[in-house]
Amino acid sequence: MPSTLKLNAVAFISPQNHPILIRTFSKQDENTIKYHYIAHTSLDIIEERANMTGKLGDCYLGLLYSMEDVAVYGYITPLKVKIVLALALSDAVVKDVEVIMLFKAMHMAYYSAISNPFLRLESSMDSSIDQSPHILVGSPKWKNFRKRVDEIARTLGTS
Amino acid sequence: MNSYPPELLAQLAPVMFVAGLEGPPKAPQESETGAAQAQLDPFQILSIRLREALVSQRKVAVWQPDKSKTFQVVLVDKEVRFPPRKLVPPDDPQYTNSHSPLSPLTPSSPLYPDGLIAPIWIRKHTTLIPSVFVMFMRIFEYPPHVLRSPLEGHDSDKDRLEEERKRDSELASDIAQRKKGTNERGVKLTVVLMASRRLLDDPALDSRLTYIRRQSGLDSRAALFVLSPVSTAELHDFVRSLQQALYEPALEYYTVHSKRVRRKRNRHSQATASYPNPAVQLANPNISRPLRPEGWTVRYEYKMACFAEFRGEDEVALKHYQDAYATLTIMFGSTAILPPRTKRWAEAKVLADCINIKIVKLYLYNNEHALALSHHNTHIRQFGDFSRGWGIGEETYEFWSWIARQYRVLAEMIDQGTRSGLVIPVHQPTASSTGAAPAPRPAGLPDLDFARTLGINPSHALQHSGFYYYMAAKCTDMRRARFQAALEAENNNNPIALSPGFQNEKKVDHLSLLYTKAYELFKKYAATPALANQTTSRLTLWIATRIAETHYEAGKFDVAVRFFERIAKTYRKEGWHALLKPLLSTWYSCAQRMGDVELSIKLLIEMMGQEDLAESEEPNGLEEDLLALFQSTVPSSTEAALTFDLAGARPIFETDAVFWKAEVNVEEPAAFQLPITAPTRTVISSVPFSSLEIHISHISNPVIVRHSAEAQEESTPSTSVSRVDLGIINLEDGLQLEIAANLRWKPGSVVLFTGALVSRKPVTLSIKKVIFNIEQNSWKVQVPVEPRPPVLGSTSEPRWLRSQDPPRFIAVKRPDHATTVVKPRPHLFNVSVIHHEPGFLDEDYPIVIEVVNHDDRDLEVMADVLLQPTDIDYAINTISVNGETSTGLIKDIPFGVLAPGVHASKTLHLASGGSGGDRLLDISISANTPQSEETSGESSDEDEDEPASPVQIDKTVYQETLTVPTIAPFAVDSAVMYARTRGEWQGLASLDTFAEDYFDERKGTEALVNIKLDCTGPWGVYIENITLDATVCYTSLPPAIIIDLEGKSAPEIRIMDSSVDLPDGNLFPAEYLAGDELNLSCRVNIGVRDDGKSEEYLFPSPGRYTVSWRRILRDGSHGSLSKTTVSLPALNPPGDTLVALFDIPPTATLHVPVSMTVTIRNYHPTRSANVTVQMEPEVTDGFIVAGLRSGRVPVLLPGGEERLEWTLIPLECGYQSIPRIRILDRRKAIPGVPATTEEVPVDGSTGEPVKLIDLRRDERRLIQADGQGEEGEATIRLLESGSNFGGVLVVPS
Repeated sequence: MPSTLKLNAVAFISPQNHPILIRTFSKQDENTIKYHYIAHTSLDIIEERANMTGKLGDCYLGLLYSMEDVAVYGYITPLKVKIVLALALSDAVVKDVEVIMLFKAMHMAYYSAISNPFLRLESSMDSSIDQSPHILVGSPKWKNFRKRVDEIARTLGTS
Repeated sequence: MNSYPPELLAQLAPVMFVAGLEGPPKAPQESETGAAQAQLDPFQILSIRLREALVSQRKVAVWQPDKSKTFQVVLVDKEVRFPPRKLVPPDDPQYTNSHSPLSPLTPSSPLYPDGLIAPIWIRKHTTLIPSVFVMFMRIFEYPPHVLRSPLEGHDSDKDRLEEERKRDSELASDIAQRKKGTNERGVKLTVVLMASRRLLDDPALDSRLTYIRRQSGLDSRAALFVLSPVSTAELHDFVRSLQQALYEPALEYYTVHSKRVRRKRNRHSQATASYPNPAVQLANPNISRPLRPEGWTVRYEYKMACFAEFRGEDEVALKHYQDAYATLTIMFGSTAILPPRTKRWAEAKVLADCINIKIVKLYLYNNEHALALSHHNTHIRQFGDFSRGWGIGEETYEFWSWIARQYRVLAEMIDQGTRSGLVIPVHQPTASSTGAAPAPRPAGLPDLDFARTLGINPSHALQHSGFYYYMAAKCTDMRRARFQAALEAENNNNPIALSPGFQNEKKVDHLSLLYTKAYELFKKYAATPALANQTTSRLTLWIATRIAETHYEAGKFDVAVRFFERIAKTYRKEGWHALLKPLLSTWYSCAQRMGDVELSIKLLIEMMGQEDLAESEEPNGLEEDLLALFQSTVPSSTEAALTFDLAGARPIFETDAVFWKAEVNVEEPAAFQLPITAPTRTVISSVPFSSLEIHISHISNPVIVRHSAEAQEESTPSTSVSRVDLGIINLEDGLQLEIAANLRWKPGSVVLFTGALVSRKPVTLSIKKVIFNIEQNSWKVQVPVEPRPPVLGSTSEPRWLRSQDPPRFIAVKRPDHATTVVKPRPHLFNVSVIHHEPGFLDEDYPIVIEVVNHDDRDLEVMADVLLQPTDIDYAINTISVNGETSTGLIKDIPFGVLAPGVHASKTLHLASGGSGGDRLLDISISANTPQSEETSGESSDEDEDEPASPVQIDKTVYQETLTVPTIAPFAVDSAVMYARTRGEWQGLASLDTFAEDYFDERKGTEALVNIKLDCTGPWGVYIENITLDATVCYTSLPPAIIIDLEGKSAPEIRIMDSSVDLPDGNLFPAEYLAGDELNLSCRVNIGVRDDGKSEEYLFPSPGRYTVSWRRILRDGSHGSLSKTTVSLPALNPPGDTLVALFDIPPTATLHVPVSMTVTIRNYHPTRSANVTVQMEPEVTDGFIVAGLRSGRVPVLLPGGEERLEWTLIPLECGYQSIPRIRILDRRKAIPGVPATTEEVPVDGSTGEPVKLIDLRRDERRLIQADGQGEEGEATIRLLESGSNFGGVLVVPS
């Protein structure tokens, strides 16, 4: 199925609203900061929607907003890791199925990256909430996560 | 929105002219309103109220979706004149060829020669020509006066009538005059006659009204109303009904217009088809560039759309607007039709924008958000494309100004819409699927709904107006950037294609424009209810950042700084350092511009900490800036140091305190390491750190590390880790510790402070904070850093330096590595609990607790024992020690003060009742030093912040949970056999049976109760004695126990004898080892109460054995005496009705006669028995029988018995079977005999056979049958062994 989606950026945000990884795929480098802003502001709507639906809600939160040239979609994993996708805004219907598929792929990438047992070795056993691996997985030291995310973006681009 | 002509945007509604409400004393009324009001007559008040009611009901607005049939009311003079339809008067011969004054074909028109449509046309239809004309007039009323005389009355009546007739004619002619004018334009005229309430009741009114109508030529329907002065509420009702009545004619009016325009358009399109354009142009050389056919189409379509809008037909209006828009787009597509940058082009552009707004609005009225946005986007894209062709593409500020305006208008419209009912949908997939669609979509759009289920087009998703405001602001930002580029180009004397608007653009204050818009936007966001409930809305922060940046651009640095302070808080808290970084640098520039040196220093220090993203080209730029600041400025006050106090900011250094052990004892050194890591990218090697204060908990004086140049030179550059030893620090010393060390960090280098803390008291040790002091010139800056502050993103694990060169670390995997707990020294003692499990039930089970003091101090030892409740039924367990008995907890069992090496023990007794199972005991033994009162007093004085009392801390507790499996000493198995009594029954009428204490043993049953005790336990048991006690009351034992339950209905039971009471066979005392068995048996006689209910009785346990025993201990001695009771089972003797008991000696001698008896007993309480007996000897029998062969036994009354006797002579030796005897109960057979068998001789051959029991074998047991009962219950089956006949052994003589 040829996908019409064009992924501009993806952001992973920890349950405590700290950025885990923000990866941009658009050419212009000066826009990186813009996607940071987008990821950060998306949290507002994600929280609002997640509260609205409560525990029964779906992971997929749908279109959060569209602004300038991007449409921002949100996803919240059962463990409250938030994933934000910034898709290039085009005048076409974005099928929820495709976005969900993309989100699932991203979730899977995160999940397999976080499963790395060596990650835990490195992290400080600091807190009972055990959030350090979340943050660590996005740090430049651990390349696997980035690789996976980039691969998804590349696959999306070629298909 | 203000940038467009309001006529082109406003929602149109039918126009109603209202005349006659001006009120005659107009000038004074306006000047002195309040005072004059009181003196106004009711009709003037009515006029004023009517005006208010009519005018206030509808305001001209862009967004007005409601269709409540209201008119746009215009108050006019009675003599108002409509604008001429054409320039020439109608009687002019040119009339048919001439055009409307606004037509492009009229040379004097502003649209001449090629204009499309002008706002003035709309204005004409909204303010100059009505669809309905309503005239308010007073009907003449003859002033009422008092009749002076009856004669006068007739005359005055006549006068009055004449007067009225005259006035009415005048009125009618006025109306007729007006009617002529309105009829020309097809406008409906309605007259409202105002009359007093008195006149309404006048019967002559009807005829007067009819007269007026006829005279004036008014329509018959909805053309004449009469109104009297009424209250405001009633007035509103009147206004409503008036509009209801006139709405239809108004619609007709606009329909007529529409039809006329359509005709013209059709004619026109046909005309253009036949005449090609060049020909038209050639034919009219005077007109330079007449309006092209496309232009005419736009014009007509637009008009039709407007008329449809007047009529409130949104769908039709939308269609026409779309047609107009489409044609307009075609016109823009060709520069030949619309040459860019001309007046007509600009007008058309405005028109196109306005039509776009109208279309979007009409879609939004209908809640078709996607279509609305789609049109809006298309408009922007299409005209963006055109703009490029016109030379005002993306690189120009005109372009961005235009786009900004589009977004702003859209935002304003959505804003207005949301205020009056437009609902912004939530684009959540789950929400829409559950049917919570914000607005019901009109039917007939199934494909649209279907598309929604698959997904949405993000650019068609309606969002709240804030987003569009933001877009507008953003575009304005772009506009400003383009403008500045142009300005720069101009300043460089290299102007790029100077556009005509450039001079104009220069006058625009871009910054303030952007600022106000953005601020509006900001407020907008905060006011949006969905986000307002959140305390920190991140969206607003983003906008605030933009605002702050704008402030910065505008030079309002102080305002910008205030914004930055607020924004930075959230970004720091949530760890979005990527966002913080540009913010800090802008903030820093603000501080620089403002000359706020202290803020600059703070910001520089914070920026030094942003190491992740300091990918700047000059890593020591910050440091140089800081040093330059120190050099060039002086602090405001020299005494107080400047403290870096930006809460939540990421510190420059990563510090982390690590204690090697989680717990140490008092006076044991707790080793710690405090690594201070410099940022890797930012260079801070020349920041003049003068000293370092390490604040340790529970020490008032910090450890001070001073920078020394010598140490700097000494320090080995080979490794990135340098170690500074602080030595052992005693908490109670209170000494000021000062050490010199190198305090210059290379990028990424670590200075590791090591040391050990010693405390004499139990406390929790930690390193509170490290303060870096920077001193240069007169500047003193303090940078406090908490070890591992709760800022996220510090990713290094806690490590312990194990080797300095090369640096090697051990990971410390403790969650609380930054603290260590100092504990008092534990007390050394040993506890052993001795007992021999399993315990027996009913036994006094000893548990010995032994405590040995291994410490070198005296210990005071106490024990608490808790017996946990069991879930075993009827188990009453107790523990006792020192004479104290409890079923639960025994506290503070004293062992006394034990000197070192001394041991003490206590015996705890556990008594378990009920049934076997585990008994759980919690034993906790605590030891403390007995003199602790003195020390505790001291310590509690010193540190009051320790809430836990030192006594509790200085106590060592040993805990053990003891499980005592408990079993019964004997396994008890009981068996009961029932046998019939053998003795002769007392005669039925025997007087003895009526005696008080008569125990009818023979009619009852005899039970043999056998109880088997099996010694199961691992321990041997020494049984001292066993006694049998009757359970309930008894008179004597033996021979008889009368058990009387509740007096009257008790059955009678007595224990006849028992094996334990045998006079010669006393077995006890005796030792029984595991596996030994012991049988106890007794005979119980169960009598029958003669009340016919014997079968219902369940006889209670007749007695119990009490076994007195002692446990045989390991050493062979006997334990304490325990008593176990074993109850006899409850008895349930089987019942009988009619039974024949057969008896014969088991052996006989050959040829010696033996006697055989059969006793027939009628146990039945009420029924008599008719019994026949037949002896049926056979040839093969080894006996000769003498006696009754066949006969009838006398009728057996209830409780009667009959004894028959035979004499048998054995003929053969060996085991001989008994001759067959048939006993039949005829009585039972009779009711069942069918009529056909009537002839059967009554010879005893019919009837129910009576059970024949061999008395020698009579023994009945109740056996638990396998669970085959119908209800799944275990059924009890009677096993009768007496019905098997035994034979007789005949021996030779």
